Amino acid sequence: MVSPSLLLAVVFVPILGACLLPVTGRLSAKFRNALAFLGVLVPFVALLSLLPDALSGTPVSLTIPLPLGLSFGLMADGLAVFMALISAFLGLIIVLYSYGYIAHSPHQGEYYFFVVLFIGAMMGITLTTNLIFLYTFWEISAICCWRLIGFFREKEYVRRANKAFLITGAGALIMLGGFIAIYQQYGTFDLTVLKRKPISDLAVILILFGILSKSATLPLHSWLADGGVAPTPATALLHAAVLVKIGVYVFTRLFVVNFEISQVFHVIVPVIAAVSAMLSAGAAIREDDIKRIIAYSTVSQLGFIMLGLSVGGELSLAGGLLYILMHAVSKAGLFLCAGIIEHACHTKDIRRMGGLFKQMPVTAVSFLLCAFSVMGLPPFGGFFSKYMVIAGTVEAGQPIIAIVFIISAVMTLIYLMRAFMLVFLGEPRETYPDAHDATPTMVASVSLLAVLSLVSGLLVATPADYVEKIVTQMAVILK
Amino acid sequence: MPILFLGIPLLAVVVLNLYTWIDRRSAFFAALIASLCQLVLAAYAVVRCFTTGEAMTSTFFGTVTVDLISAVVLFMIAMICCVTLLVAEELVKSHRFTFGGTMLLLMMGMNGIVMVRDLFSLYAFIEVTGASSFLLIAINRKRDELEGAFKYFLMSALATAMMLGGLTFLFLLVGDTSFEAVASYLQTRGGEHPTLVTAALVLYTSAIAIKSGAVPFHSWVPDAHSSAPSPVSVVLAGIVIKVSGVYSMIRLYRDVFGFDPRLGQVMLILGLASVIIGALGALGQNDLKRMLAFSSVSQIGYIVLGASTGSAIGFVGAMMHFFNHATFKSLLFVDAAAILHETHTRNMDEMGGLAERMPITGVTSVIGLLSMAGIPPLSGFWSKLLIVIALWQISPWVALAALVSSVLTLTYFLVLQKKVFYGKLNEKLAHVTECRGRLRFVELTLAAVNVLAGLVFPVLLMLLRGNGML
Repeated sequence: MVSPSLLLAVVFVPILGACLLPVTGRLSAKFRNALAFLGVLVPFVALLSLLPDALSGTPVSLTIPLPLGLSFGLMADGLAVFMALISAFLGLIIVLYSYGYIAHSPHQGEYYFFVVLFIGAMMGITLTTNLIFLYTFWEISAICCWRLIGFFREKEYVRRANKAFLITGAGALIMLGGFIAIYQQYGTFDLTVLKRKPISDLAVILILFGILSKSATLPLHSWLADGGVAPTPATALLHAAVLVKIGVYVFTRLFVVNFEISQVFHVIVPVIAAVSAMLSAGAAIREDDIKRIIAYSTVSQLGFIMLGLSVGGELSLAGGLLYILMHAVSKAGLFLCAGIIEHACHTKDIRRMGGLFKQMPVTAVSFLLCAFSVMGLPPFGGFFSKYMVIAGTVEAGQPIIAIVFIISAVMTLIYLMRAFMLVFLGEPRETYPDAHDATPTMVASVSLLAVLSLVSGLLVATPADYVEKIVTQMAVILK
Repeated sequence: MPILFLGIPLLAVVVLNLYTWIDRRSAFFAALIASLCQLVLAAYAVVRCFTTGEAMTSTFFGTVTVDLISAVVLFMIAMICCVTLLVAEELVKSHRFTFGGTMLLLMMGMNGIVMVRDLFSLYAFIEVTGASSFLLIAINRKRDELEGAFKYFLMSALATAMMLGGLTFLFLLVGDTSFEAVASYLQTRGGEHPTLVTAALVLYTSAIAIKSGAVPFHSWVPDAHSSAPSPVSVVLAGIVIKVSGVYSMIRLYRDVFGFDPRLGQVMLILGLASVIIGALGALGQNDLKRMLAFSSVSQIGYIVLGASTGSAIGFVGAMMHFFNHATFKSLLFVDAAAILHETHTRNMDEMGGLAERMPITGVTSVIGLLSMAGIPPLSGFWSKLLIVIALWQISPWVALAALVSSVLTLTYFLVLQKKVFYGKLNEKLAHVTECRGRLRFVELTLAAVNVLAGLVFPVLLMLLRGNGML
């Protein structure tokens, strides 16, 4: 058993470390960059050491008692460590990728501050056991998102940043209303006390507002398509691969693990997810901006995750969790590829590209591998998760919804292949003299993610085992 | 000891006037010393009242009492006056002597409001506070300053006339004006003359609503705040309208009239209207200071909402928001003062990208505004949380309305940031430099207070719980 104070390190090393970054940046940019990496590496390593306990079913936890049901608590159970590890790992890649990408921009101190702070907030969201502190970390992540989208301070970017902040902020405030409704019922915000308590439908609906807005699910998705095309692919990645998972994670944490909710939500939420997946896949087919295509694809894939988590049943639940991992890895890869392409061609319009395969082979192959995983082709990682989610839905007795999702999966195939062909194959429509694979760290991050997309499928037994253990733990709780 | 809070400012005014034969520049110095003394004394009073749980009283032509609430408010008065004087020393160029002296009188007036336990003295000190505020607003005798002061003066005269009317009714009935006598009369024999009692209550409520700038009596707030010299708007928004308005309201309803659910409903409506209309008003402004003034109306609405619940949580929430609003709103007005000083405009459309040139002002304004919007972990979040929890016990829908109104706060926060700080630098403002010296010190201190108050808030809750107040 490791010391519970390690949990504090996981959350507060990045948060406090972030505050040092703008100051150290004045002394030496290199030192600052190294420190930023360290600020994400520490929680990652700490989480790895927490992993054995989490899997053995005796989670490490710590509580600081406070009045009014505000006790501050952190707990590293299987689900939390799973989600936190994915986020911290992607965080590491983002920081590495940023070294190359952000090197020539002003306000770098601010940039690294918000990236590392975001990772800290993410750790807080996953580990906390108190609704109010969940909300606290949630809003911190929203502030990071706001500053990162508007990072280059162009009028248009600031407008989009404001839109994202307003939608997620409003959703969060309504969610807070739901938390207070729970508080009125039970007199505490502490999730450990609230285990398996039934909560009112009003509270569920209010909390769903927050979850749907953060996870960019229809009808609160529009900020992602705008914000997802944020200036830096690193931030776009932060949103698409990590930030939007907050919503689905909190859904699992609250509505699957912790509270009893009405049966009717096991139908309503899958239907919302189905509509969201279908419509945004359609939007992705119509788009010409490569980042918007990927952003809409994120909205669509989140529908799959939401379906797996909400439909009920162990198979789909395991599928949903596995999906979080697979989607994070391969969607991150896609976004970084898009970033490299944009950097090289100075445009995001895929109709003006073409034949880039020769000029940037590594990027092209990486893009393809990641795209295969998102489409769900065997033997890539995405296949297994998609299969489990859809099979689980049928098992739960909702074949019609399963059919809608199969159609959306086919649409995924269409829009990603269309993007790939227009960008990399065919004759070049315009010449791009400086189109080539980017700096070594950027290419390394991309190809690492591409390889991971493939390997996670070939060696799917390992993550699947892990997820199965989490689900069995949950099932124990459920019974 | 409480008498010191009246004695020190008075003494300082006298000494100031004698000392000017030697050196007229000392006005700020004297006022600053007085407010620092009060800061220390008030801090002591807070600790003492908290640990012993007893009020401190001293008699001197009447009784003045300091209990825990008074002590906290006295501390805030000292803090905001310090801030104002530091800012003013940098920015006020003419009439410096008058400014220092009037600030001392203002401080004394507010201290009096906080400590008296007598309806007539309360009225008198509200007038002292009002009169010194008019002087300060119009200190440069410019056209729009005079206009703002005149508007404030008219509304204020209306309020005090109403208050005097209410006072007359109560005096007629009770034959005494001390809080204790009136309260015991209302409790035992209040039913004998329901019309007169209700009339007094209505008059007092309207007077206080005017003084605190609650909707529908808010029209003077934006004018007075925006036209006043920058340091004066800091003290007005930071503490004056709260002490003469909201504080008197809480004091009167707790100690004199007693809480009544019907009164609670009236306050609930007033509060909710202020929250929403204030925020909508703020959204429509182009003038930086007017926007902040409208947001004061909205935030005061939250305090009124908290007090309207009548429960312990609501009351603690209201007092916390009182404190938090004093810190973040004065921080924002100090930021506005720095901007006005550098750019010579209050029109937000002429600004843009100022964070490039004024990073500290930019960052502190983000902290202040986030705190105001109730974003954790800043101080404003916790007080709003308590208020909303208390409101939920009355009615979930009102609580939800108050929560959703925070979205409006968030919106004008974003509008302000976009127009003023965030974005590309406006070329006309390339010459702008960051404020220095005292202004910078004040900005950083107030921002730190906002952050720290948010972080230690759970500890504070524990203390209050230990003390049996929650």
